[in-house]
Amino acid sequence: MPASVTGVVFDIRELTIHDGPGLRTTVFLKGCPLRCAWCHNPEGRPREPQVLRAANGDRVAGRSYRADELATLLNRQAPLLADGGVSFSGGEPLMQPAFLEAVLERLEGLHVVLGTSGFAPVEDFLRVVRRCDLVLFDLKLIDPEAHRRWTGADNRLILDNLERLADLGLDYLIRVPLVPGVTDTEANLRAIARHARALPGRPRVELLPYNRAAGGKYAACGLEWRPDYDETVPCRTDLTPFHELQVDARVL
Amino acid sequence: MNAILERRQAALPELSPRLAEMKRRIRAGEHHRFRRADTVDVLSECEREGLDWTQRAARLTRRLCEAQTVVIEPDERIVFTRTVRRIPPLYRPEEMEKLVAGRVFHELGPISNICADWGMALSQGLLARRAAAQAARVRLAGDREAETFLDAAVETIDAVLDLARRYAEAARAVGRDDLAETLERAPAHPAASFRQALQALRLCHAVLWLSGHYHCGLGRLDQYLWPYLEADLAEGRLAPAEAQELLEEFFIGLNKDSDLYPGIQQGDNGQSLMLGGARRDGGDGVNPLTAMALEAGRKVALIDPKINLRVTRETDLGLLAKGVQLTRIGLGFPQWCNDEVIIPGLVAAGYDLEDARDYTVAACWEFIIPGNGMEVVNIGAASMPAAADRAIRAGLQAGEGFDRILDRAGADLAEQVRGLAEASRKLLLPPAPWYSVLMDGCLERGRDLSHGLKYNNFGIHGAGSANAADALAAVRALVYDQRRVDPARLIRALDSDFEGEEALRTELREGAPKVGNHDDAVDGLLVELFDRFADACAAAGDNGRGGRYRPGAGSAMYYVWLARGHEGMREPTVGATADGRRKGTFFSSSLAPSPDVQVRGPLSVLQSFGKLDYRRVCNGGPLTMELADSLFRGTEAVEKVALFIRAFARSGCQQMQLNTLNVDTLRDAQRHPERHRNLVVRVWGWSGYFCELDESYQNQIIGRHIYGA
Repeated sequence: MPASVTGVVFDIRELTIHDGPGLRTTVFLKGCPLRCAWCHNPEGRPREPQVLRAANGDRVAGRSYRADELATLLNRQAPLLADGGVSFSGGEPLMQPAFLEAVLERLEGLHVVLGTSGFAPVEDFLRVVRRCDLVLFDLKLIDPEAHRRWTGADNRLILDNLERLADLGLDYLIRVPLVPGVTDTEANLRAIARHARALPGRPRVELLPYNRAAGGKYAACGLEWRPDYDETVPCRTDLTPFHELQVDARVL
Repeated sequence: MNAILERRQAALPELSPRLAEMKRRIRAGEHHRFRRADTVDVLSECEREGLDWTQRAARLTRRLCEAQTVVIEPDERIVFTRTVRRIPPLYRPEEMEKLVAGRVFHELGPISNICADWGMALSQGLLARRAAAQAARVRLAGDREAETFLDAAVETIDAVLDLARRYAEAARAVGRDDLAETLERAPAHPAASFRQALQALRLCHAVLWLSGHYHCGLGRLDQYLWPYLEADLAEGRLAPAEAQELLEEFFIGLNKDSDLYPGIQQGDNGQSLMLGGARRDGGDGVNPLTAMALEAGRKVALIDPKINLRVTRETDLGLLAKGVQLTRIGLGFPQWCNDEVIIPGLVAAGYDLEDARDYTVAACWEFIIPGNGMEVVNIGAASMPAAADRAIRAGLQAGEGFDRILDRAGADLAEQVRGLAEASRKLLLPPAPWYSVLMDGCLERGRDLSHGLKYNNFGIHGAGSANAADALAAVRALVYDQRRVDPARLIRALDSDFEGEEALRTELREGAPKVGNHDDAVDGLLVELFDRFADACAAAGDNGRGGRYRPGAGSAMYYVWLARGHEGMREPTVGATADGRRKGTFFSSSLAPSPDVQVRGPLSVLQSFGKLDYRRVCNGGPLTMELADSLFRGTEAVEKVALFIRAFARSGCQQMQLNTLNVDTLRDAQRHPERHRNLVVRVWGWSGYFCELDESYQNQIIGRHIYGA
């Protein structure tokens, strides 16, 4: 991929906690094909830069980078990231496959983590994950109907990509965002546990407890935060469904 | 706070009920009822007997020890409660004026901000120190100065021994044989147990304060106390849990008298200690007491003692995590010191390698050698923003090139340093017989420490550095490179504090690179400023005491004073600056990106400040970063921050303060101080109770860069 490919990034954060092992810098790529009801990064949805209007002033979310520019920026941090690496999140990073690939092929000696919903064309998905050291694969709902209702998209493509990822023998794990009454139901967690058990390599599952700050940025994006579930209910963090099936799982 | 965090916190041990009660009493000030209202008169007898200064200093120690009422609370295992409030004068004001004529005191006058050789004092015991004084007295007979000093030193030793004896007798009288046995042994004899060592340390350290000294350091606590604990544990005399509790009680005791200590704000009292790091022989000094002291600091959660932890990139992650558990509760310590950078820096500054490995910090962050340093580490500050501002104005008015502006800034720094150095050569250090007893070689040589010790350097802060570099970078980018800003207009805007020039101010703030983003275009200017500052200190030569001037990167209170001015201050204040900073806005404390500028994150900050040549800038001064407490919500955060400390060790940075903050809590504390009496924050080189700070200091903390929010 040429160095001049550009992509849109809405944040680069250093010392991120949940984006992979060790000390990490995370790049958030802008644009996402899903519309998850609990999305806490609404500025990650549109592909183009946008103005956020907050009480403390306006700011532009989204900046265009050339692939070589972003790679250089990350490579310059490599000396401090020896105990970790860089992570790519979003949005959905696979919305910008050519840019992401161009960046990845220019990284030098950095451990790379991809955080993805898996909702991407198969060819793009495979080309990118092959360049990663670890994939954090988001699995929200196993029931197709529920998946359509809560994310706006079918999960067929996602489950297919997960299977292909498993077949590649790469390091990966499954991440489940716990949303009260939506994804944290016993039925859904059991279904995820069964799914994980059936996958080659039997990946570990990590549960991410619901964050009440999820709606924080909607107003700034000109959106209304009106979740169709009761976010005041504490989410269930029960690992029993996983342990019963000998699936390694933990709560982050 | 979510359920996970609560569970994890519950898993960490807390103070025992006995100590929790002791802490409550101290915070409530219940022990203040023991304090005497009167001021002890020492002056009259000094005049009557015609005593000289050294003799008077010893008499002060003696009379104040005598004036101490013995206080033994039933639940205390380590005793001492100060009951004398005030330190009386040794001279009438007019006499003192004559004595000082032509010279100046450093700050309040008495010797401060150094560190005793506690290991030596505890292992020898005061009777051995007394014998050393007497042997020297015989050897140096006829040397009047030595005789006077040694007699004075013995007077102070006897005063402390007498105080310990009175405590022991009172303990016997109330049936506290455990306490009596401890006090009968130490500090007179070499400490024979961990408890004796702590008790002796408590007493000898408290008498420093009683003698009028302040910012009294505790040095490398885990190094000098470990032999006692190790022996106790090996012999089965003490269980690890008991040792932990004794250490915690000792820490709590250090907070009893902090309201009586002088300082710029309460908490600025220099009761700092150092943990971990290299031994004198180069081996790894980390021992079980290192982690115990970190744990004790977390459990006690008071402003004293201020804990420092020495690290390298090899430091065990488990130990780093222990330190981070302390960081997490928001006291602002431990302060992290990078042995990989500091030790070579001290060696380059002329310290013997073994001594360099033995460094601790003075009150805040300045490196000193326990027992061997009579250094005055904070004689003043060079204002980098003033140097940059004057250079920018003069250079632009003269139509010069940018390099010439840099030269002017360097010359300005040199002039500032010259002024500070010249004033410092008049420094008058008063005699300190009791402190001298605790130092290496004073008794043996028959000379008070005010005559000098092995190391006698002075230190100068380099304050406001990020704003200064940002101002230079803005001028280079916008006036020289892009020619977007007219020089005359810039100077007018600075003069008018950007009145009607908001657009220009925005351009200066947003249109030029800022320190903290690992951007060589501006970081290079920061490096340049410190290099020239170091050149200036080197050129200032000898300090009149056989020492030199050490440049530092700290600011102390100068981040406020250089912006707002302060009565009697020698340093220049500056108005609006070319980085777009308005007049009166505080600078950042020590090393940190300028207030309100955009920075990418804490790793970029490490990389920016890792570029400085700390082999030359060796006085100390921490990179200061604030973490949002919400960062610690997840279970992995402690490990991540521990890895961040390792990255700090790799980055080439010298020293770091990491403070955990919650802005909402701080704002609530401003509105409802009664609800947040125990809320502790790091201010500069020290931590204090937030509600006891002046509002301007409170606001500066709220306005800092906070990472991980």
